[in-house]
Amino acid sequence: MTAPTRGLAAQGPAERPERWPLTEAQLGIWFAQRIDPDSPAYQTGQYVVLDGALDRAAFAAAVRTAVDEADVLALRFLEEDGAPAMVRDEDAQPMLEVVDVSGTGDPFAAAMASMAADMARPGDPLRGGLAAERLYVLRNERHLWYQRLHHIVADGYGTALLTARIADLYSALASGEPPRTAAFGPLLGVLREDADYQTSTRRAVDRDYWAKALDGLPEIVGLASGPALAARTHHRCAMDLPASFAARLQGLAAEAKAPWPDVLVALVGAYVGRFVGGQEAVVGVPHMARFGSAAASVPAMVMNILPLRVGLDEDSSVAAHVASVAAGLRAARRHGRFRGEHIRRELGRLGGERRLHGPLVNVLPFFERQPRMAGLATRLERLGSGAVDDITFTILASPSGQDCRIEVDANPTLYGREETKAHAERLAVFLERAVAAATLGSVPTLTEAEERAEIVAVNDTAHKVPETTLWALIGGQIEATPDAAAMRFERETLTYRALGEAVDATARRLAAEGVGRGDIVAVALPRSIGMVVTMLAALRLGAAYLPIDLGHPPARIAAMLRLAQPRAIASDERHRHLFPAGSRLVSARANGTVPPPARALPAAEPTGAAYVIFTSGSTGEPKGVVVEHRAIVNRLLWMREQYAIGPGDRILQKTPASFDVSVWELFLPLLAGATLVVAPPEVHKDPAALAALIGSERISAVHFVPSMLAQFLAEPLAAGLAIARVFCSGEELPAWLRDRFHEIVRGELHNLYGPTEAAVDVSYWPASAGDDSRPVPIGFPVWNTRLYVLDGRLRPVPRGVAGQLHIAGAQLARGYIGRPDLTAERFVPDPFGAPGERMYATGDLARRRTDGAIEFLGRADGQVKIRGVRIEIGEVEAALTGLGGIAEAAVLLRKDAAGEGRLVAYVVPAKGGAPVTAEALRAQLAATLPEAMIPAAIVILDGLPVTGNGKLDRAALPEPAGPVSAGRAPASATEKTVAALFAATLGLDPATVHAEDDFFLLGGHSLKAADLMRRVRAAFAVEIELGAVFAHPTVGRFASHVDALRAGETRRADLAVLLPLTTAEAGAPVACIHPAGGLGWCYAGLARALGDRPVYALQARGLTAGEAPAASLEAMARDYVETLAAVSAGRTVHLVGWSVGGIVAQAMAAEMAARGMPVGAVALLDAYPSEVWRDEPPPDERAALEALLRIAGHEIGEIAGELTREAAIRFLRAGGHALGQLPEETIGAIARIVENNARLVRQYSHRRYAGRLVHFRAAAEHGDGLDASLWAPHVAAVEAHDLPYRHGQMLSPAALATIVPRLQAAFAEADGSR
Amino acid sequence: MSEAITLESMRADIAAAIGIAPEEIGDHDNLADLGLDSIRAMMLVDRWSEAGITLTFAEMAEQVELAAWHAIVARKLAALAAGAGR
Repeated sequence: MTAPTRGLAAQGPAERPERWPLTEAQLGIWFAQRIDPDSPAYQTGQYVVLDGALDRAAFAAAVRTAVDEADVLALRFLEEDGAPAMVRDEDAQPMLEVVDVSGTGDPFAAAMASMAADMARPGDPLRGGLAAERLYVLRNERHLWYQRLHHIVADGYGTALLTARIADLYSALASGEPPRTAAFGPLLGVLREDADYQTSTRRAVDRDYWAKALDGLPEIVGLASGPALAARTHHRCAMDLPASFAARLQGLAAEAKAPWPDVLVALVGAYVGRFVGGQEAVVGVPHMARFGSAAASVPAMVMNILPLRVGLDEDSSVAAHVASVAAGLRAARRHGRFRGEHIRRELGRLGGERRLHGPLVNVLPFFERQPRMAGLATRLERLGSGAVDDITFTILASPSGQDCRIEVDANPTLYGREETKAHAERLAVFLERAVAAATLGSVPTLTEAEERAEIVAVNDTAHKVPETTLWALIGGQIEATPDAAAMRFERETLTYRALGEAVDATARRLAAEGVGRGDIVAVALPRSIGMVVTMLAALRLGAAYLPIDLGHPPARIAAMLRLAQPRAIASDERHRHLFPAGSRLVSARANGTVPPPARALPAAEPTGAAYVIFTSGSTGEPKGVVVEHRAIVNRLLWMREQYAIGPGDRILQKTPASFDVSVWELFLPLLAGATLVVAPPEVHKDPAALAALIGSERISAVHFVPSMLAQFLAEPLAAGLAIARVFCSGEELPAWLRDRFHEIVRGELHNLYGPTEAAVDVSYWPASAGDDSRPVPIGFPVWNTRLYVLDGRLRPVPRGVAGQLHIAGAQLARGYIGRPDLTAERFVPDPFGAPGERMYATGDLARRRTDGAIEFLGRADGQVKIRGVRIEIGEVEAALTGLGGIAEAAVLLRKDAAGEGRLVAYVVPAKGGAPVTAEALRAQLAATLPEAMIPAAIVILDGLPVTGNGKLDRAALPEPAGPVSAGRAPASATEKTVAALFAATLGLDPATVHAEDDFFLLGGHSLKAADLMRRVRAAFAVEIELGAVFAHPTVGRFASHVDALRAGETRRADLAVLLPLTTAEAGAPVACIHPAGGLGWCYAGLARALGDRPVYALQARGLTAGEAPAASLEAMARDYVETLAAVSAGRTVHLVGWSVGGIVAQAMAAEMAARGMPVGAVALLDAYPSEVWRDEPPPDERAALEALLRIAGHEIGEIAGELTREAAIRFLRAGGHALGQLPEETIGAIARIVENNARLVRQYSHRRYAGRLVHFRAAAEHGDGLDASLWAPHVAAVEAHDLPYRHGQMLSPAALATIVPRLQAAFAEADGSR
Repeated sequence: MSEAITLESMRADIAAAIGIAPEEIGDHDNLADLGLDSIRAMMLVDRWSEAGITLTFAEMAEQVELAAWHAIVARKLAALAAGAGR
């Protein structure tokens, strides 16, 4: 046997050895290893157990010969000028080492330990020692042949080629037969081929192939979350497939007309698909790149990894799936020389997060599983085959497909050892099932043992619960503890006895209205004793109650009533405007006319409905969930026992009744003998008031939506409170909030989860101080409840894998009222339960932790939550497209910089329709949607962006701060500069800002206005007042103003009595009268929302130097009326006044009527007549400053320390507010005006105005004392609206969304009547 | 050994593996260019080995044309016959 001649081996020893370039494949390993030179991850190794009489001399000779033939084993690597090169150096060749471990106690273990130590040596190629050949002597007839090869010298094929050659040479020497294998070819041939390919047209063809084949490649996810970066070690678990598998595999191969290795790739790809979701899985397929290559007979590193897209159509036959994947593999191999690294670079997928493919699927059919060595039994085991980024599935088999073994290598930073083992076991079962299955759809993901664990063991929640009703339980408590305190509301306490009597009386009144078992009673009352009693009375009669939120628009309430068809509506006259004309309202108040107990009242049944609660519906209308007594009884009795609720507990009821959380707040205390403390209306939005209430009422259990808990914990009054149990649900509870809670409050925190469709909550988790879970789980199922995490085909998913959460058991709702179609869609047969049982598909994504606790991961569909309110994106989109003039709409939840979600709508106006504005759309939406569902921003687009396959491309939708109008480009130099300043201030592309663009509609607000002014002063060197941008908000108008200033034509227009807020001239003007501080800038938002109408602010005299403030309110009204007359030119004028401005507006209306001037609508925003204030103490400096802060949208409590004028100005300036930039003398003037106005109001007596007022009350601010009825003596009629805002919020965008449509209706009515 | 391996039987086997007609395969065509890939080639090598000869993928993969493959197979079959006759 002679070494083959090599072209480069002929050089003399004195010559500088020739530098060889690395193959492209070697370069890949070189750079990967240089990232972590000490890492052993690129060492590959194996051992062969040799049983029998080994001829050690023959073996040594065989090794020496093969090593001599293999150029790669004589390579030395070096780095010159930063570039790697290699030279042939026979000193680098490995020598066979013989290690005798036969004298140790456990020779095999000693050999294993020695090999492990060797495999762990650092892999830096510059250190040399890249290969080892070693023979361990275990005993006389047992040896262990160990080989280690760095991946830079050999790939899997190369290693196997070397092993087969040594085995064959040994057999030849031992048996005297000629060797069956040929000597290795020269490495140089491989290097030439590699170099030729670089400049070949073939490479260009390959490159084009990959660009096309990978077009639209999805984002790659692994089987575990986390970046896939090479680790230094890996977990390894192996499983042998049974002998019967080979025949089935060959059968499927024949059916699919595909080679069996490709069948395995296709099936492992399908297995991977079970973890990644979506339409396809992308796996990496090692490609040995030897076919038609000089490298076929050379141990070397030329292997490539090809991305393979595996379609996941589980409905077609398994054979069709295999055939499709095999076709893809065949095409990929034809272009398999083009390096995966290059593909990755060209697609821009670099780093552990931007991957080209998921797990590797490596099928090795080229060599016999076991080396053939004469006279010896052999068994080969692989120790390592290179770095594992994620997880690698290797299937070893003989060339005929026999002896299949699965090896799973997993990155330990992403997978645990148990998880790796589970993959090996599960994949083995999956393959066995898949080769025998008709479709992949019928193949379960889990093994039988896993399925038992995921479906049965974790849901072992059976618990005996009595067959009873809510009312039976509460009625029993009334009898048991008649004198105990059942309920507290404001200063009133009701005993259980009194509660029972009140319920009885109301029940009789409802019965007299015809309410009986099986009916529905709509309850439209503010939170009060009357509300609770009415609900109980309905339950008492066997009827279900339907809570109606008084803040919802009438159109939405009408939709609910249409679906639910209640027998009675319990409400009062104040709220009549919410209901369809002619609705009969039953008063909740006991008024002495209780019908006599003519007959026994009916009783509820456990299977009867207890309540109907509406939630947002994706089809565009709300859907009503019907929950039965037995379901809610299960939930409440579980909670009573789980948290030991009983007499002595005081539970706060603060959740609006239209959310199902209110159900346990309301009834749990009453069936546990505890006290129900009913919070006054609107208190649930006010953290300070809540903290005070919780303290003074000694509350022992309370619920918070997490976002509200965060606000509550930020409230200073909450610090140090002791609350025995705090429950969170409705949104994800962030881990930081759990930790913050335990820093601030003494008490337990519990995280509950459940949809309205399953009686409030179905899972629980103690979020205790010691809990360090991230994320905070939603935990474990409650009594008689089963939680399943299933894939799209309702198959259980492995632990740790995301799936859709399904709920089965006692708490399921009956369904959606009047919508059997929706009910059938969501409440589906439970495939794991008894016949006839149902499960509810939540649409929530979840996964089980290893301990079985469930983690919530988000939504599978378009449902979002805003401040705990469940919103179907589809309902908002349907409302937008239903407006008319809108062709298409898409709505997204976007997180702002602070991480808070807000709805952003994108609309495409209908072709040829009237132009639309965002503000007008928001105003129109307010007529049909509750406030939380109205998008915070609406972006008008020419068309919605779509992806290659025609779907909405959500990622391509712009941030909402973009321009809202197309229009005239800025023309003059001033306009161009102003546009650029707007853009710079708002972070926009200057090219997108047009002359008509409004600073505020582009995303500006008062903080940004101050920033803009700094830039404007610097750019134009003018003294410009801050109010200018409120008065002139568009680029064009602002530029004209700047030009006028520079020409010296203007003085402080923004402090003038009449401040135009829009440029519109046509139509009846709207005059907005200043509040206490005298400035009218606060109406800028209202003016924009009103759209195409002249809007003016009236501002107080005395803001500018040398001007005297008004002497009386009568004089002020006369002054303003005369000022208006000059611009109204006989047209009708509408009046709007907030706060003090409302008092002035009424006075002006009376004055105008007396003068015979046409008065339009008169709208008052939280204003009350002067006599209300007469006995209040006169305002001091503090009140003036408070008024100033309110103008700026702040509350007085936000200033730390003593409130002085200096402190207030500092505060405003620090916050960047426009008002803080006002000159000192103007702030002084405002303070004087506040005091003056307070005096004028107290001295004034209203004159009657014989017209109608439209009144908006800040219901969140006022209790029962202040309301619109106070105006009754001074006007002919009052139309009253309660808004869930505070006084200072009445001009906020949210409040305007409700106010503006009402105002426009009133204006239209008044315009029309003239 | 169920049936004799000949140039034409090899041509037919390769054609079936690629999914083309046997007459489309010339003796000196590059089989990779005709659509044969390494795994299908491996399957053919395994199948022809059933005739009792030792064929390895390594020796067949370097030059992928029918004539070269047939030469290797013929040589091994001849050696096998010679050995059997000995």
